[in-house]
Amino acid sequence: MAYLSTRDFLDDKAYLDRWQYTLRTGELDLSWMNVATERIACRPQSPRRGLTFRDLDVGSYGFSEMPEIIRENRSFAPRGAAMPDGLPDAQADVNLKSEVWAYNVEGYYEEAMSRQWNATTDIPWAELAEIELPETIGKAYAQLLTFLTEVEMIATDVPAKWLGRLNADFFEVKNFIATQAMDEARHAEVFRKRALTTGFGLMCASPHNENNLKFLRDGDSFAEVSLGLHLQAEGMVLTLFRFSEFISPTEADKKLFRLVMQDEARHVGYGMQHLKWVIDHFPEKRETIHRYLDEAENFVFGAGYCTEVTEPFIILAGKGLKRENIAEGIRITRRFQLKQIEEYFERLTKCGLPERRERSKLARARELMQAALDTPVGS
Amino acid sequence: MAYFAHKDFFSDTGLYELVQRVMSGELTLSWYQPGTEPARCRPASAARGLTYADCNVGSYGYDAIPEFVRGKNSMAARGSLLWGTLPDIGYTVNRKSDVWSANVVALYEEAKTRRWAPAVDIPWSALAGSARPPVLEAATAQVCTVLEEIALVAMEAPGRWVYLINQEFLEVKSFLCGQMLDEARHVEVFRKRALTGGQGLKRASVPVEQALRELLAADTYPRTSLGINVVLGGLQVALFRHLAAIADNDADRRIFTLSLQDAARSVAYGVGALRCHLAAQPHQAHALCDHLLETEHTIAGVLGSPELCEPLIILSGGGLEAEQRGRGAARLRQWLRQTVDELFARLRHAGLGSYPQESRLPACFAAALAA
Repeated sequence: MAYLSTRDFLDDKAYLDRWQYTLRTGELDLSWMNVATERIACRPQSPRRGLTFRDLDVGSYGFSEMPEIIRENRSFAPRGAAMPDGLPDAQADVNLKSEVWAYNVEGYYEEAMSRQWNATTDIPWAELAEIELPETIGKAYAQLLTFLTEVEMIATDVPAKWLGRLNADFFEVKNFIATQAMDEARHAEVFRKRALTTGFGLMCASPHNENNLKFLRDGDSFAEVSLGLHLQAEGMVLTLFRFSEFISPTEADKKLFRLVMQDEARHVGYGMQHLKWVIDHFPEKRETIHRYLDEAENFVFGAGYCTEVTEPFIILAGKGLKRENIAEGIRITRRFQLKQIEEYFERLTKCGLPERRERSKLARARELMQAALDTPVGS
Repeated sequence: MAYFAHKDFFSDTGLYELVQRVMSGELTLSWYQPGTEPARCRPASAARGLTYADCNVGSYGYDAIPEFVRGKNSMAARGSLLWGTLPDIGYTVNRKSDVWSANVVALYEEAKTRRWAPAVDIPWSALAGSARPPVLEAATAQVCTVLEEIALVAMEAPGRWVYLINQEFLEVKSFLCGQMLDEARHVEVFRKRALTGGQGLKRASVPVEQALRELLAADTYPRTSLGINVVLGGLQVALFRHLAAIADNDADRRIFTLSLQDAARSVAYGVGALRCHLAAQPHQAHALCDHLLETEHTIAGVLGSPELCEPLIILSGGGLEAEQRGRGAARLRQWLRQTVDELFARLRHAGLGSYPQESRLPACFAAALAA
């Protein structure tokens, strides 16, 4: 056992005597009843929206008044509750608000709770299973789906790894992490199921991307991990989902990508609002952020090795393997890749990091890609 | 940063050449003939949709997962072709009978179907202007304070393990994600309930938190599941059921009924996982019994805490008058008896029949329940 309670309750005579006396007689101590916590009665500001965490942002219970450093609560005590002596140390590693907080995190959580969809029933599987995709398109699509089901659960594992390390006072963030874990499990599920209904099954794993997943998983701090996962990786995946909707072989597949995009946008939103919070409150962290992004972008650029991702995209975009299909597919794929990188820099600019573009090797690579866009395929 | 790429790709001429070739139309198609099993899964029931059970086919299915998962340490999807140099992600739970349960797939599907949102699925406006006596509101607020503490721990438990469990056990990991969401929902709903009654939060509980911390700190996943899903989950089921039964308003009845639904899934998984574990590793029964004997005092820590016991007596009896407290104490004694009996029954059903015989709980409760 890694932790033992300060006492064995079944050996503590005073504890047991008191409990037994209470149960036998109904005589109560009631010291908990008059603790000096704030008396409030929160109400929904909008009956349609219901009672949200924002409605609970009141006084000592709220997140607005939460200080940067959580000094008092190292236990599981709910924020604002009376904390008697003797509460155990929950061993939270993250006790700085700026490490985890994001503007509107409470809004993202509430949205996630109301927008949970079901991969089992919300996709017309019976209809999809009867669709025979041409071999070229079917294999390319199955390969794209294999990549997507492979990478999705990193966004479960990584935030979950940090959930228990965050101070209990950050429960809005913990709750958001829990919704993200479920979102990503659903994404892994829907992409796996779709691959297994194409007639082709799963295809090849993606070694380079696996190394990128490990990079994300092994981040040193929650802030670093959130930057890499939520903003950079999921941001690029969001663009990929949009293009995947565009190149999807059926209407049901387009619906599938619209649903996953909805979830992904929330995660990216959290990542952006977290970075914005950090830049607004702690501008001295800029250099640390840049150094992290240097390596994150190295992995992004190295994804050029992932022909098991790029080539299916080309085939799906061009709708085939003939010369003219490939030429069209490459044209669309180049635009997608440019869009992916451009949107990444736009997000960073919106978060208060406009200088990233100047500093980034990825930005220079993008310029080369833009030049290549003007060059006909095959020349 | 703990992990770096093995090279600076921006200086990798091989990469530039490959990208040039591919984007000039020379596709490698290295992935095109993977040799993996073709599959065309279909829903067995159109109404039910395409479940993981429908995808339990061939090398893709969970039935095909071996007891010991060797050589698969990445996040590659089960059944896909492994090639190249895949990293070791760092999973420490790689044995099927340490995590699996026969009902885990069904429970995951149920978790998705039975989702609810506290913001809108509880009639909060019904509590506004309620004429409920302040003493009952205070007791409710105190119970909800403790339930929020319990939910925070119960949310953390799956989070501690999900990233350590091998990705081959996708269905279990997905269930754990559902469990995290369930407990996040409980954190939310109990906090909201405490902050709508005019009382605010009350007192965190030292014995409850000490007990929970010990359950959370179990060394292995099977022990964690036993402590959190079977023991603590069983207490949650009993508490929610009782609180739903004695609720005097629609909002509370709904809160506790919906929460009960969620907690029952955790218990079902925990019992199922224990059965699976002991079926494959029968020698663990003795060790798990020992673990229960060492940790069973945490049950007394939770149930005997004044922050939980006293408000339950008030709510069970309907108030603070002597007669009400007497009635409440009597109901709570009966409830305790039933709760412990249920725990023992679950453990016997799961294969730990020797534990109840050695447990100190009956002797402890005998004195308390004799009235």
